[in-house]
Amino acid sequence: MLAIKELLGGKLKFGLIALAIGLVVALTMLMSAMSEGLITGMTGAKGSLAADALVFQGDTYLALERSVLSAEALEEVASAPGVASSYAVGHVIVSVDSSAEEFDARVFGLGDRFDQLPIVEGTTAAPGPGEAIIDITAKANGVEIGDTLHLTPADAELTVVAFTEHRRYVMAPAIYTDMATWERLYLASALGTMAEGEGVSATAMGEAAERITGGASIVAVDLAPGTTVESLQAELGGGFEVTTPEEAALAGNGMPVMILAVDGIQVVSLVIGALVIGVFFYITTLHKTGQIAAIKALGASNAYVYRQLLLQITILVTAAAGVGVALALGAGGSMPPTMAFDPQVGRWLVSLAAVYAMAYLGSLFSLRSILKIDPATALDHSGH
Amino acid sequence: MSLLAVRNITKTYGSGRTQVTALEDVSFELDRGKLLAVLGPSGSGKTTLLSIVAGLLRPTAGEILIDDEPVHLHGSRAAAAFRREHVGIVFQDHHLVPYLSAAENLLLVPHFSGRITREDRERALALLAEFGLAERASHTPAELSGGERQRVAIARALMNSPEIMLVDEPTSNLDTERGKHVVDLLRSHIHGRDMTCIMVTHDARMAEAADDVLRIVDGRVAADLPA
Repeated sequence: MLAIKELLGGKLKFGLIALAIGLVVALTMLMSAMSEGLITGMTGAKGSLAADALVFQGDTYLALERSVLSAEALEEVASAPGVASSYAVGHVIVSVDSSAEEFDARVFGLGDRFDQLPIVEGTTAAPGPGEAIIDITAKANGVEIGDTLHLTPADAELTVVAFTEHRRYVMAPAIYTDMATWERLYLASALGTMAEGEGVSATAMGEAAERITGGASIVAVDLAPGTTVESLQAELGGGFEVTTPEEAALAGNGMPVMILAVDGIQVVSLVIGALVIGVFFYITTLHKTGQIAAIKALGASNAYVYRQLLLQITILVTAAAGVGVALALGAGGSMPPTMAFDPQVGRWLVSLAAVYAMAYLGSLFSLRSILKIDPATALDHSGH
Repeated sequence: MSLLAVRNITKTYGSGRTQVTALEDVSFELDRGKLLAVLGPSGSGKTTLLSIVAGLLRPTAGEILIDDEPVHLHGSRAAAAFRREHVGIVFQDHHLVPYLSAAENLLLVPHFSGRITREDRERALALLAEFGLAERASHTPAELSGGERQRVAIARALMNSPEIMLVDEPTSNLDTERGKHVVDLLRSHIHGRDMTCIMVTHDARMAEAADDVLRIVDGRVAADLPA
C-alpha cells in the first residue's frame, strides 16, 4: 500500500529516478549490444558457418588467413571415418575499388552450401560464376544489387546478386562466391603478391598454384553420430586442426584479448549501473528516516518497511528497464549498419537480470539503514 | 486498579564520565478515563518517559505495568505488536504520511496489523467526522491546516481503540486558541472511555485541562499536583 501510494504521490520524483535508472539500463544494453556487435563483426562469417566442425591446416592457429588445404587434403578429410558430409570453404582478402567508397572485404568461397546464408535482399538462388552475395553493411559503401565490384589486387569483377546479414569478418563485409570464382581470386591475389616479392622463382609460383588448384582454405564438416571434434582430430592427425565454428570464431585476430576487454567493459558498466541504482534507493531511504521512524513507532515492522522498498525497487526497475530497452533499441536503430550493434535477447535478459539483482543487492544498504532507524526518534525531538 | 503503573523508572544514556541520566526514579499511576499532563521544560525527560511507556525505549531500571502486564520486558517485536494493539501515539510533528489522504493515514494502523476491513474504513470515516474532518477525509496533509493535521493525528491514534494514548506536545505548533481546542477535544474523548492518556507539554496553560499534572525537572518528579 505505502510503496505504491508513495510512487503515485511522487510521480515527478520517481519518474526522474526511473528515467535515470533507465539511462543506466540503456547504457548497459548498448554496451552489451555493441560488444556483441563488435564480436559479430569480427567473427560473424567464420562462426556462423553451418557445420559441426571446421578443419584447418595444422599449426595455423585456426586462422583463415593462414590455412591452405590442397585438393588431396580435402579428399582426406571428406573420406575420414566419422565425417558425414563436408564442403570446402575458401577465404581471401580483397579491396573493392569500384564503389563510391573503396573498402576492404573478405571473399568466401562456399562450396554448394549457399542455403545457409540469410538473404535479406536479392535472389535466393546460389550465385553463379562471377556472381556474389555480399553482407548488407556494404550498402554503406554505396554497393547495390546489380553493381559490378572491381576487386584488387586480383583485378577481377563480381556482380552483386543478393545481400545477406550478420556476415562480416574482421569488421569487413563478407563476399560469397562459388569455389571456382574464389579459386581464381585467390590465385590472382596470392600469385600477384608472390610476384611482387623479390627472389620468388617461377617454379615456386607454379607449385603454389598447383597446390591450391581444387583446394580451399578450410573444410566445414558435419560429423556422423558418435563422432566428436576430438575423435576426428585424432583420426586426421597433426596435419590438420579441428575445432567447432564457435571456437574457431573466437581464435585468431586478437579475439581472445578483445573478448576479455569486451567482457570487462560489460562487467564494469553493469557494476557501475548497479552501484548507481543502489545509491538511488539508499538516498531515498535516508530522506525518509523520520517517516520510517514514525511508522515503526506506529507498529510497522522492519520486514514491512523493507518489503515496501523491494516493491518500489521492482516497480521502478521494471519501468526503467522498459525505458532503457526502448532507448537502447532507438539508439541502435539510428546507428549506421557498419557500426557494431548486435542486440542479443539472451544477453539482454542476463543484463536485465543482473540489474534487478544488483538493485536488490544495493537495497541491502537501505535495509541496513532501515534496521538502524530507531522508532524512538519519532518522539525524540529535543535530545534526551 | 490503575490501568498504568510506572514504578521507579530510571533511564541513563552512556557510561562512565559521559553518562547522562534522563530520568531518575519516576513513579506514578494512572486510572482509566484520566488525562495526565506531564509538564516540564525542554530536556527535562518528558519525551524519554513517553518513549519508555510506548515501549520505544527500555528503562535502565524500574518497571511499566499496563493492566498488570510488564511491558518494559518486551523485546522490540513484542513491543511493536503491543503498540499496534493497545497504544495510540500522537507525535509533536504529527508525522502524517504526506502522500496519503487523511482517511488513509488512519487506515495505516489496521494495515500494519494485517488487512484493512470494511469496518476499519467505516471507523476511520466516523473518527474523522467526530473530529470535524468529514469533508477533509480525502485531503492530503499538505492540504490541511496545522490544527486539522493535529486532529487527524489524534484520530489516527484512536483508530485501534487504544487503552493508552500517548500525546507529545500536541499544541506546540498551534496558536493558543487552536491548541486549547485540540486539548479539549482530546479530554472529551478520553473521559468516559476505557482508556487513559498521557500528554507531554511544556505549556502550563494546556496542562490545566488535564486531570492530573506530573511535573518533571531534570529527570525527576518535581511535584504531583492536582489539576
